[in-house]
Amino acid sequence: MEEEIPIWRIKYHPKNLDQICGRKKVKETLKHIIQQQNFPHMLFVGVKGIGKTLITQLFSKEFLKKNYDANFKLVYANVPLSQEERKKARSEAYVSTSKIGSVAGRRITTPAFIQARVKPFVQLKVLGGAPFKILIIKNFEALGQNQQGFRRLMEIYGRNCRMILITTKISSIINPIVSRCQIVLISPAKYNDFKELITQIATQESLEISDGAIEVLYKISEGKISRAIDLLQLSSISGKVIDMEELYEYSQKFRNELIRSLLMVAFKGDFPKVRELARKILSNYKYDIHEFFKIMIDELNKLPLSKFVRSKLMNFIADSDFRALDGRDNDIQVSALLSKICLFSEYM
Amino acid sequence: MSKVKTKIPWVEKYRPKSIKEMALPTARMRGQRVKLTEELTNFIESFFEERRKVNKKNKQIREFNRTVIDKERKDEFKIPNEKAAVLLEGPPGIGKTSIVYALANDFNMEVIETNASDTRTKATIEKRLKETTKTRGIMDYIAQSKEKLILIDEIDGIYGVQDRGAIPTVIELIQNTQFPIIMCSNEYKTNLQPIYNKIRRYEVHPLPKNEVIKIAKNILKKENITNLKEEDLELIVDKNNGDLRGIINDIQGITQGNIEGDHKELILSLHRDNLEEIFSLIRDLFQVSSLREARNLTNKSDVDYNFLYKWINENLLTFIKSNRELTDAFESLSIADEIFGRIRTTQYWGLLPYFFDLFAGGVALSRRETPVSKGFQRVVFPRYTSGTYFSLTNVEKEFVEKLKRKYEISQIDFIQDFLPFLKILCGASRKQLKNVSDWLDLDPKEKKILK
Repeated sequence: MEEEIPIWRIKYHPKNLDQICGRKKVKETLKHIIQQQNFPHMLFVGVKGIGKTLITQLFSKEFLKKNYDANFKLVYANVPLSQEERKKARSEAYVSTSKIGSVAGRRITTPAFIQARVKPFVQLKVLGGAPFKILIIKNFEALGQNQQGFRRLMEIYGRNCRMILITTKISSIINPIVSRCQIVLISPAKYNDFKELITQIATQESLEISDGAIEVLYKISEGKISRAIDLLQLSSISGKVIDMEELYEYSQKFRNELIRSLLMVAFKGDFPKVRELARKILSNYKYDIHEFFKIMIDELNKLPLSKFVRSKLMNFIADSDFRALDGRDNDIQVSALLSKICLFSEYM
Repeated sequence: MSKVKTKIPWVEKYRPKSIKEMALPTARMRGQRVKLTEELTNFIESFFEERRKVNKKNKQIREFNRTVIDKERKDEFKIPNEKAAVLLEGPPGIGKTSIVYALANDFNMEVIETNASDTRTKATIEKRLKETTKTRGIMDYIAQSKEKLILIDEIDGIYGVQDRGAIPTVIELIQNTQFPIIMCSNEYKTNLQPIYNKIRRYEVHPLPKNEVIKIAKNILKKENITNLKEEDLELIVDKNNGDLRGIINDIQGITQGNIEGDHKELILSLHRDNLEEIFSLIRDLFQVSSLREARNLTNKSDVDYNFLYKWINENLLTFIKSNRELTDAFESLSIADEIFGRIRTTQYWGLLPYFFDLFAGGVALSRRETPVSKGFQRVVFPRYTSGTYFSLTNVEKEFVEKLKRKYEISQIDFIQDFLPFLKILCGASRKQLKNVSDWLDLDPKEKKILK
């Protein structure tokens, strides 16, 4: 007997391509590729959290079939290298003096990320009867200048291993990489498909949910299906009938909403309180300071403010972000920004 | 009163002559408790044994090298780093230096010492130590002179521009030494990491309170002093927080001062404490009304400016209340922080005066309307330290590993997206918490993350 999974997000996790919510066109093309048993390097582009990774993962699972475990790897570009990986990359970067050629005894300047995470997988031969290996690199834009290292890599090892790159912003990917890939755009699930999925879950868990509540859920989850299922589970705790207000309340507790509420508190001008809240958010969620400022700007755009106020606040955030680049203590920069907003709120 | 009035400070007078008569502080190596005396005695014995072996081999190699051409020469052996040096780390005044001197006394060795009072550039260290470590002088062979023990005291004081190039020299010293090296340090410093990697590091902990009182009473008995009350002694011990040297100095200061009756106020007014200095400095800083006064304050104090501006950041709110002034203060502080960062990356220390003027002067002068409060203001520790890199604790890492077996998720997504949801879910009811932790097979430690 299968054990009950307590987290719905995992319980209703799609097991194959068919189970993925909506996006019929993409699924059709992918299935066609599976029949052909061949594809070029691919670049998946789409908004954050709508299931790009899931689709690519299930696709490669069905593509490789029984050879999946040996020939598949998923790499996160935004997770920093651990100390061991760094050490290993450094030691492997030296070419032994016993080798012949102009680079013998010298150091090759390959980025540590490629040296530690990509090369060991790419260089190994294909195992089993699979046509080639598949390497998925998530958040490819986080590599920045290190993307240059992939240009030759994709050509040299392209026969052995196909890469699927996943990104949220195609603009920050360098042109040579884009030209080497087939681009696949992934859009969020349509409302009808979303509704179908949610009602299916609701009937399985014997919940009562109105059409209005589903619409609210669709809006606040911003196309992120896993977020929507999370919210559904949270509001199901108190009772079998899903309440709209409860959904709103829970959605406030997620991270972007937290930063929005931080801004709202700052507009009230109570500095000690704001600083306390900011410190709590930063230490709980381990934000990179630049990402913190970026989310702040995103949230600022959603708030109803006058043009003058918005541009002024934007200026403050940009200034603080710039100073944090050189500064040693992030807390000082965040406090400085918040104190400015607090002061400015008196004139708003 | 004792009959013979010696003018030596008691700290020197009662410095233990042998390791046997010492009250030994507890020590830890990589988290495990060890006996410091045994470890150090072993260290010195094994060092000389190793040296004998290595020198014997090297003698043969040297003879071999004389007979052949340059190309075929063999390298000489060296004593392994781990056997050549150890590091003792602990708060001041708990007996690190005393142990080394007592040890040297027991083994009949001569101690060669450098400490923070010497400027330790590459050249000076080389001049002072390297020659003694590499070679042995002619006199050593003739007079059968003592063996030497090298003590690099206060190694965490190797710092800044004056001591540039010192750390590589110390490392070179460890690799080529002919004598055992013991280093002392007060705290962990990141710039000493290359040294930490090479050698054994012992954390020395302060003595327990009853042990300290026993030693203090012993000294009082030897000095024939009876006018110090028991409770005053305890007060001194409490105030010094395990710093034995501080305690002995305090006792000497109080009892030789010929003050009758109540010592309490005197004891409380003694402050050797670095913390107290920071407290009063920050309090004073917000009283000044001109840039020159602020500058004087920061110049006079020897508080590490690395921390000082973080202290100011934490305590701004207690002294300045209005938003306008706060904004000005944080503006100067944030520019100071930026400048400091640039100094560290470019090593252009010419910017340092701006840094001082901004974080001390700029901040202090931003108080214009808020009146100087007469009452006592509580100064607090900088509690919040922000990390620059994304890193997880070990427990969190294991949690993600367990989760990854069932659900593919990256560390960043886990912390920023999935964990908040899990926290709300498990906080909502106990049944949910039990279900989740059973399903993931969690330890009690990992369960704590969910709460």
